[in-house]
Amino acid sequence: MKFDRRLFFNFDWTLLILVLTISFIGLLNIYSTGYSLDNYRQETLYIKQAQWIIIGLILMGIVICIDYRFISQFAYVFYAISIMMLLVVSLYGYTTHGSQRWIVIGGFFFQPSELVKLTIIIALAKYFDDHMIERSYKLRELFVPFLIVLIPVLLILKQPDLGTALMLLLIVLSLIFFIGIKWKSLLAAITCGGLLVPISWFLLKDYQKERIMTFLDPESDPLGSGYHIIQSIIAVGSGGIFGKGYLKGTQTQLKFLPVQQTDFVFSVFAEEWGFLGGLILMIMFVVLILWCLKIALHSRDLLGMLISFGVTVLIFWEVFINIGMVLGMLPVVGIPLPFLSYGGSSMVVLMIATGLLLNISMRRFILHP
Amino acid sequence: MAEMHGQLNGPEPGHFRKRFKIIFVVMSIMLSLLIMRMWHLQVIRGDELRQRSENNSVRLRKIKPLRGLVLDTNGQVLVDNQPSFDIMFVPNRAKNINDVGYRLKNLLAARDLELSTDIPPLGKRRWFPPVKLEKNISMEKLAIVEAHASDLPGVTVEVVPTRKYVGGEMTAHIIGYTGEISPDELKRDTDNGLSVGDIVGKDGLEKYLDPYLKGKSGAEQVEVNVLGKEVKVIGKIEPVSGYNVVLTIDSFLQKTAWDALKDKAGSAVVIDPRDGSVLALVSSPSFDPNLFNGGISFEDWDNLSNNPSHPMGNRAISGQYPPGSTYKLIVAAAALEEGLITPETSFNCNGAFELGNRTYKCWQKHGHGRVNLHRAIVESCDVYFYNVGKLVGVDKLAEYARGFGLGQLTGIDLPREKSGLIPTKEWKQARFGEAWQMGETISISIGQGFDLVTPIQLVNAYSALANGGTLYKPRIVKRIELADGRVLKAFEPEQKGRIPISKENIDILTYAFWGVVNERGGTGYALKRKEEDVCGKTGTAQVVGMPDSDKARKRSLSAKFRDHALFVCFAPYKNPEIAIAVIAENAGHGGSAAAPIARKIIDAYFERKNLEHKKSQPVVAVNQKLQTGVYR
Repeated sequence: MKFDRRLFFNFDWTLLILVLTISFIGLLNIYSTGYSLDNYRQETLYIKQAQWIIIGLILMGIVICIDYRFISQFAYVFYAISIMMLLVVSLYGYTTHGSQRWIVIGGFFFQPSELVKLTIIIALAKYFDDHMIERSYKLRELFVPFLIVLIPVLLILKQPDLGTALMLLLIVLSLIFFIGIKWKSLLAAITCGGLLVPISWFLLKDYQKERIMTFLDPESDPLGSGYHIIQSIIAVGSGGIFGKGYLKGTQTQLKFLPVQQTDFVFSVFAEEWGFLGGLILMIMFVVLILWCLKIALHSRDLLGMLISFGVTVLIFWEVFINIGMVLGMLPVVGIPLPFLSYGGSSMVVLMIATGLLLNISMRRFILHP
Repeated sequence: MAEMHGQLNGPEPGHFRKRFKIIFVVMSIMLSLLIMRMWHLQVIRGDELRQRSENNSVRLRKIKPLRGLVLDTNGQVLVDNQPSFDIMFVPNRAKNINDVGYRLKNLLAARDLELSTDIPPLGKRRWFPPVKLEKNISMEKLAIVEAHASDLPGVTVEVVPTRKYVGGEMTAHIIGYTGEISPDELKRDTDNGLSVGDIVGKDGLEKYLDPYLKGKSGAEQVEVNVLGKEVKVIGKIEPVSGYNVVLTIDSFLQKTAWDALKDKAGSAVVIDPRDGSVLALVSSPSFDPNLFNGGISFEDWDNLSNNPSHPMGNRAISGQYPPGSTYKLIVAAAALEEGLITPETSFNCNGAFELGNRTYKCWQKHGHGRVNLHRAIVESCDVYFYNVGKLVGVDKLAEYARGFGLGQLTGIDLPREKSGLIPTKEWKQARFGEAWQMGETISISIGQGFDLVTPIQLVNAYSALANGGTLYKPRIVKRIELADGRVLKAFEPEQKGRIPISKENIDILTYAFWGVVNERGGTGYALKRKEEDVCGKTGTAQVVGMPDSDKARKRSLSAKFRDHALFVCFAPYKNPEIAIAVIAENAGHGGSAAAPIARKIIDAYFERKNLEHKKSQPVVAVNQKLQTGVYR
């Protein structure tokens, strides 16, 4: 592929700088979570995270160089690979905290369910792009997209990972809403979904039921499941307007916060940086999300639009659900905060997703030969 | 295909543009909801939540104070403090709980040792609170655990100050014991700032003087993380030790009394008639209060609380017995004071007393013949007192009994004192709805029937007679001292009043009680010392009334139904220094079963006194040395 100078001039520096800034804030934040630990392994989490960022940036660079149209030709291949990995997880996966989510690749723990979030977006985009119709979709025309989502959702629920399964459903619903669906079909889908809720309640594991119950009344179990929510609210609230200062969050440093490097990383930030810091971070996320939305709006073709929209909603929902959970507005479902939570899988996948957005953005004026 | 897609770009997606607008608005609203929630938590509720976060991380840890010491009247330590080395297991510090348990077991088994409690299996639990594996471990175990500390993560040795009851069983009923505060006690305590885990007195003086003994807890502010692991100490308030308590108890007499009584059930109380100071107070069977240190084991508690002979009960103050013939003091005093008899008044005793169609026997089957008051007391003639009691009547008897402090609390500084019972006509009407029968007056005239007294009441009544008529409140606590020996509070002898009897009559009765021990035919003649200085009165308290025809069966009666033996005495005859009451349960006749116990105490008392007299200077020096030894 010949280098096109326009690619350089149209490169979306704003997006890259935003992502790098947020990732850097995340790095500082993870350093803080491990600051008071005497365990060397956890102390060096921020170094690992930095490594993941670098790996992510390398992969991002590769993704940028290859036209997204070319990449999307292999959408179903990527999808199939990620499903395979999920199957491997369910058979040979590594178990922590009562769920089986990881596979070990060359000494690295990898979470295929994170990868699925992206491959599903590309697969759905590819499907809708291939089966474009001018009018709104009927329910039966959405059978294949639902099937594409349903397979990984079931595999992930089996792990069990309620949050990621929910996330996949939200992504597909958002995409369908975006692409257009007949009101009747939407109503039917909602009815079916509504019927599934009581059934799925019985399929939930006890700890998941407990989490939903304690979300409704966290104070009922202050040292059990509600502990996470209460400690998180205390951490965020105790930060006040200006915060307790970097590395000075007592909730964080005294390890009152559970899973503070991963799912509750925002409460660490909010405790140490206060409302002002949290507001700045929130504004950065808002700008990031709206910027991504702008990329989707201005993308050259439907495929690019769907991919970038998919990535936008992925980031949006993760930010909304994670922070909503940390602030005690939503149940604890275990969804990472993009670019801030510790975790290689999430970071690498999001970097690749960003690469796709940059890819789409800089090729918006280039008509395919 | 490519061209077709190209056409989609730009102008066409009008409906997408509209949807983008909707999505833009929805996303903006949802994200601003998050910011509003942040505002709510951090700005509006910020102060409240900051408060909570501080409570969260800074934990207050109590430091238990040392309880005060308890000393006897000569400064000998009765209750001390000692460190107890307890093995604790803190699960969250151990990586593999089963592993640690296995290793600990093996280490101990190598020296033929074992722990009283095993590390509990984790089971389905992810976590359990720290457990005490064994309290007060031996030095050998301590050495093993300390030496292998690094191989036993989670196993720690805690040093806890605990009570050391030097007197053990001997002083158990005076001192009582301590234990962790119960939920009930915690509820009742609203302003002393006690909290869960605090050690409080549970019985005896430990309970009665708890406010003085307990001291003041200190506290440490420690920063802890969510695992409860301490990160650093922020502030410390030193605990304040409890005050020392000096008793009127004389260890030497206490030990003598205990040694004399311990094989029987019953009690012995020794007081100084001159001021009501309790010199010795023992109750048998007893218990070892050291068992309660750091929490009594279930097995030990079961043994103590379900023991049919109630070793935990203090018989000296809560054992209620019919006074038997010791009650004749009251009957005689009432009759003399009321002018119903003179010392010369005599009655003929042929072994029985007729009232209506009932016969009341004298303990001397063949009768005492004609006896006056003196001989009636010396020989404890029942028939004489049936006659006198009938003259006095139940209500007058009760009046005098109360005048001597019987049938009411003496007010001794010990918990759970019982009042005994002195019946009146009114009482019977109220209690049973029945009129008083003359026959019942006959029974109470020799201290049977409804009459019930406690040993402390009995000795107190006789010591009032001995000191010339002053009824004291028995005093067991002499003073409360600060750690440096300064007196915080002194408990002075407390007079409750005079017994309702003239000096003249006191002398008549005292002489009669001298005769009991020192005259031929006296029921306490066996106690006679060559100094002829003891006055006393025997008593036999019937456990069950029994017709004479059954006397033969009496010998084969199980011990449970045998009579209680009583003996009250004071000495010397002129200016008495000690008064003693002894009750030996189910031991038979007072003169033969209870008097020898009193005799041992009296002998010991005077033996020591003579010894002290001979070499008074050196003894004072020894005492001083003892005192300085105590106030470390």
